[in-house]
Amino acid sequence: MDRGFLTELIRAAIESIRINKLRAFLTTLGIIIGVTTVIAVVSVIIGVQKKVTDTFSSIGADVIYIQKYPWVMGARRKWWEIRKRKDITFTEYNALKKYSTTIKYIAPEMHSRVSLKRGNKKVEAVEITGTTHILPKINQQYVETGRFLSEDDVRYRKNVCVIGTDVAENLFPEENPVGQYLKIAGNKFLVIGILEKKGNIFGQSMDNVAVIPYTTYQKIFGSRRSITIVALAENKDEAIEEIRWILRHVRKVPEGKPDDFSINTSDALIKQWNELTRSIFLVMIVVASVALIVGGIGIMNIMLVSVTERTREIGIRKAIGAKKKEILVQFLIEAVIVSLGGGIIGILLGFLLAKLSSIFANLPFAMPIWLVLLGFLFSSLVGVFFGFYPAKKAAELNPVEALRYE
Amino acid sequence: MNKRKNRDLIKLKGIKKVYHLGQVDVHALRGVDLVVKKGDFIAIMGPSGSGKSTLMHIMGCLDTPTDGTYILDGMEVHNLDEDNLAEIRKKKIGFVFQNFYLLPRVSTEYNVALPMIYNRVPYGERKEKALKLLEKVGLSHRIHHLPSELSGGERQRVAIARALANDPDIIFADEPTGNLDTKMGAEIMEIFKGLHKDGKTIVMVTHERYIAEYAERIIHIKDGKIEDEEEL
Ligand SMILES: Nc1ncnc2c1ncn2[C@@H]1O[C@H](COP(=O)(O)OP(=O)(O)OP(=O)(O)O)[C@@H](O)[C@H]1O
Ligand SMILES: [Mg+2]
Repeated sequence: MDRGFLTELIRAAIESIRINKLRAFLTTLGIIIGVTTVIAVVSVIIGVQKKVTDTFSSIGADVIYIQKYPWVMGARRKWWEIRKRKDITFTEYNALKKYSTTIKYIAPEMHSRVSLKRGNKKVEAVEITGTTHILPKINQQYVETGRFLSEDDVRYRKNVCVIGTDVAENLFPEENPVGQYLKIAGNKFLVIGILEKKGNIFGQSMDNVAVIPYTTYQKIFGSRRSITIVALAENKDEAIEEIRWILRHVRKVPEGKPDDFSINTSDALIKQWNELTRSIFLVMIVVASVALIVGGIGIMNIMLVSVTERTREIGIRKAIGAKKKEILVQFLIEAVIVSLGGGIIGILLGFLLAKLSSIFANLPFAMPIWLVLLGFLFSSLVGVFFGFYPAKKAAELNPVEALRYE
Repeated sequence: MNKRKNRDLIKLKGIKKVYHLGQVDVHALRGVDLVVKKGDFIAIMGPSGSGKSTLMHIMGCLDTPTDGTYILDGMEVHNLDEDNLAEIRKKKIGFVFQNFYLLPRVSTEYNVALPMIYNRVPYGERKEKALKLLEKVGLSHRIHHLPSELSGGERQRVAIARALANDPDIIFADEPTGNLDTKMGAEIMEIFKGLHKDGKTIVMVTHERYIAEYAERIIHIKDGKIEDEEEL
């Protein structure tokens, strides 16, 4: 079929839709819902994905966290057994330091949330980390001004601290904090450095922090609680195997019993995230397909009505020489235009919905071109698929009977 | 009158048409033999239900006979499938019906251009042709009107212009004046007379004697058979 002819068929289809605008619009509701769902959900998932990827990279994709509790509950593990686990202590830290051949850097981490004071200024809920001078090599967060903890600071339990930018801004709004003093849990600390700004993750500032030597931390906060050991290795998987082996020995885990400690990496989080997205996708696919099928049946219905109403017209077209295929294409075009119209409305609504949720949930907004094309593709496929039967019916009408139809 | 009409355009032999209505068989045509030569103007008359329209539909390739042979312009057409028949209708045949059968929502001009659209005539050419044909039937002042805005006689003239769009060999007209008053009917018949003079072959069904007398030959049909032929 040449272009001029197709243009005429498209004109005829548009003409016929125009006459029943409202009917055509109501028919497309299912398609609108289906396409809106797909566009909005996929866009939001892509936005969240971006956010999560950023978060993971801030956790450190290659950092190994050795902790008492897992980040992600496996299906096999029972929480009451995990609750009974022994704490992770410096015994484990020292053993790993001594025996591991694969770990490049290793550091302990102890955490508390306390308020920091300077004169009459105060910052609440600052995350205090007790660690060693090695930590920046592992988490890649370096000081911006001043210096980080030194080996001597740790060895001599010095009351020195490195602070995050939030703490610096709140306690030292006008001066350079380095060389000044502040109070942590009533103890006087010398500020030796300021950490690079990290920004927000999931709406929470990562810069309301202070880092002190772990030895000093133990002096002030005691050493009863389980510690976190962070490590960096050339080969993560190899290192994890070795760490397991060493820890099982140190903690005397009997053969055949499961580990009584957790080796956490961002892999597990990514895996859980992927499972979550997969189930969201599944729900979306179900909702969207139901809507598209309902929409498609709507289109089939309206097209059957249209064919019946226009039996006479079909007869006339046939009498003057229209072939079956030409009638078929005319009605297919009509079905596709109706469903594509619904698809376009759905794309716009989905775009709007995604934009709104990205604003309210403070997520990055994403609307890749392939997603828009997917919307177009889906809606036109629905039109072709569900429009085919009515169009075929029109094409198969007997010319004489169609002409005689009242 | 032009007497070069020796070529057989339509040759029907033993044409039968049976409709199956539930248990009953309706014999609409019971063996029709008919020859139409190029340039003929034939009127078919007969009582209601005698099979005139059925015969015309078969001759016009809108329908196929149950039995018999039909040779149109030297080609066997009684066994052709729908699309091949459509091709023949498009190229060789023009129809005029009692009820006009115009597309209601498009202009006069578009109605006339429609057969040319299916014949893939380019836009400019078909526009020009449509205007020329409308002028020929005296409607050049009505090209943008919808059929509902025209009188019956005007509508039938649009239908005639449309029937001529692809320069057919034959025009089939099924009671073209059946819905028109005497004056309008006469106007329509003058157009047919002109077409015949220009060499078009015309087969027309009518109930009215005075309408039939515009033709050169009247075929009388009864109970699905040709009963009588009269030369005028
Ligand atoms: N599709 C059909 N199914 C069954 N019977 C039919 C069909 N079409 C026509 N007939 C029958 O065939 C016979 C001939 O019909 P046809 O329409 O050819 O008559 P006609 O001579 O044109 O009559 P009229 O003058 O009323 O138009 C009639 O008895 C009619 O009822
Ligand atoms: Mg009839």
